[in-house]
Amino acid sequence: MRWKKIGKIFDPKGFELPNGCSEFAQSPQVLLLDGFLRVFFSTRSKDSTGKYLSHIGYVDFDKQFNILRVGKDQVISLGKLGCYDEHGIFPLNVLKTKDKLFGYIGGWNRRVSVSVDGSIGLAVSNDDGLSFRRIGDGPVLTASVNEPFLVGDPFVQIYDGRFYMWYIFGTRWVRYSDNAPPDRIYKIGCAQSSDGIEWTKSWEGRQLVADRLGSDESQALPTVIKRDGVYHMFFCYRESSDFRNDRNRGYRIGYAFSDDLHNWVRDDANVGIDVSPGEWDSDMLCYPHAFEMDGEVYLMYNGNEFGRHGFGVARLER
Amino acid sequence: MGRVFNPVETRDKTWMREFAQAPATLVFDDFVRVYFSCRPERDSNGQYVSYTGFVDLDRHNLLEVLRVSEKPILELGDLGTFDEFGTYPTSVIRTGRQVVAYYGGWTRCESVPYNVAIGMATSDDDGVTFTKLGAGPVLGYSPDEPMTISGPKIRRFNDQLILWYVAGIKWKVVDGRPESIFKIRMATSRDGRHWVKRNVNLIPDVLEPDECQASPDVIFYQGKYHMFFSYKYSSNFRNTERGYRIGYASSDDMFNWTRDDSRAGIEISSGDEWDNQSIAYPHVFELDGGIYMLYLGNEVGRFGFGLAVIDDYKP
Repeated sequence: MRWKKIGKIFDPKGFELPNGCSEFAQSPQVLLLDGFLRVFFSTRSKDSTGKYLSHIGYVDFDKQFNILRVGKDQVISLGKLGCYDEHGIFPLNVLKTKDKLFGYIGGWNRRVSVSVDGSIGLAVSNDDGLSFRRIGDGPVLTASVNEPFLVGDPFVQIYDGRFYMWYIFGTRWVRYSDNAPPDRIYKIGCAQSSDGIEWTKSWEGRQLVADRLGSDESQALPTVIKRDGVYHMFFCYRESSDFRNDRNRGYRIGYAFSDDLHNWVRDDANVGIDVSPGEWDSDMLCYPHAFEMDGEVYLMYNGNEFGRHGFGVARLER
Repeated sequence: MGRVFNPVETRDKTWMREFAQAPATLVFDDFVRVYFSCRPERDSNGQYVSYTGFVDLDRHNLLEVLRVSEKPILELGDLGTFDEFGTYPTSVIRTGRQVVAYYGGWTRCESVPYNVAIGMATSDDDGVTFTKLGAGPVLGYSPDEPMTISGPKIRRFNDQLILWYVAGIKWKVVDGRPESIFKIRMATSRDGRHWVKRNVNLIPDVLEPDECQASPDVIFYQGKYHMFFSYKYSSNFRNTERGYRIGYASSDDMFNWTRDDSRAGIEISSGDEWDNQSIAYPHVFELDGGIYMLYLGNEVGRFGFGLAVIDDYKP
């Protein structure tokens, strides 16, 4: 594969964002509407304790990725007290079915011995994503016997009439040093559904994609697209310690392919996209989102600092 | 019949300083093993963890304690897991040669004090030690049951496994403090591992819409299912008359229940008794021509559990 970078297309700076947010536009998620694209992203505010809360905003683009408008209001509120999504939604993955618009919530809530936990919930929109309503206060996909915590990063597609959700689950929390808080390790899994609401973890506890950096590799935000009968998965991966400031240990985009949605072959050598020296994505590439528009395949993604300064897009050349 | 066991009187176990909550029995030829949850002293942050242990009672004199478990039957979970800070309560059932346990695993949260999900573990040594199925829970949260999945009671009726449990529906802030609101629920399973939730509140409220209902236990007797449970007000319930009482409901089919607390047949004691303020966590079992109830007294079992027997048993 080879991707042609079009460049950074959205910087949250200078826009009036929901919930008073001014930085971060993370994990772009595309909804194709009539003649334009609505892209949902996670932006951040700080609460009274100085900790971040992630909220969902959106920006509309024309098909040449010129900004048409930026949403000022949140499309979905954070979860209620004690719920799985009380402290953040990251990402909101949207899927249009024949008669519904589903929003899959990557919900985050804070813990005491470790920083966070996560589960995946579902909300529905009847106004092209300007507002979403949850089907319940609890999640549709959460921790289970062999996926003990940190269930998140939903990405849902329908293939042959069946819903597939790719997501991540935590495998371990590790104290890499005595004076640092515990770091998490997570891997990519897949669940299936006939209606997009009730999910079965057909491969419960099975890591779909092989590690490249060893068992301490963290893999996040899978996105899948089908081309020429082959399923292509993009995701981001990194070391699980010292990944924030050491550019050589931070996120890069990885790649795997499958003929049957069951067996995945990791093939990062063919991912066709890497960091660009001197650019907005010189140190990090993360949170990829693949989509097709008018016969072309595109990849939206975040660059340095996990998307503090926005996201960009690339087009698949071959 | 009186108090069976007071954990405050055990001296040699740091993990069992006080509390003996949620008694659950496993019957052997000569003794009855009663599992319960107990706590060491509070940690440096002033918080408790909880473990499950057991006492063996003489089958022919249930007020006679034969022995107390040396160790907890389950270890606490690893960093970040659902049962890192507690395994409480525990309910057991025999399956072939194994004993299978379902337990509430506790974690600590930032905005609310805790969250709970139900784990599963198996024993190959008659219930002395258990191995967890995995690091995660077997029954967790869902759209209609967002939090606090706790209080499991495992039963087998008509070749089907039934889990009665409690599901949190919300946290209610009372005087700046979040209080959990929970209702009695059930799930069914063929293999004990994969559960189908019924997704309805089984027992109507009587105190208030936010009535908290806990610790359901069900016994089949004389052609009917009988549920004993505890219930309390949602606010100002600690050490007051708004605390736990034991309620009762009956059913012909396990799914549709008629509540009639007046038939619970047990009330708080008067005078200076250990159960003069609240009673909770009823566990009902049939043994050698009698039906017994183990239950907790004041401060939800801080000072142990007691035993009651049905007056008018008819086989």
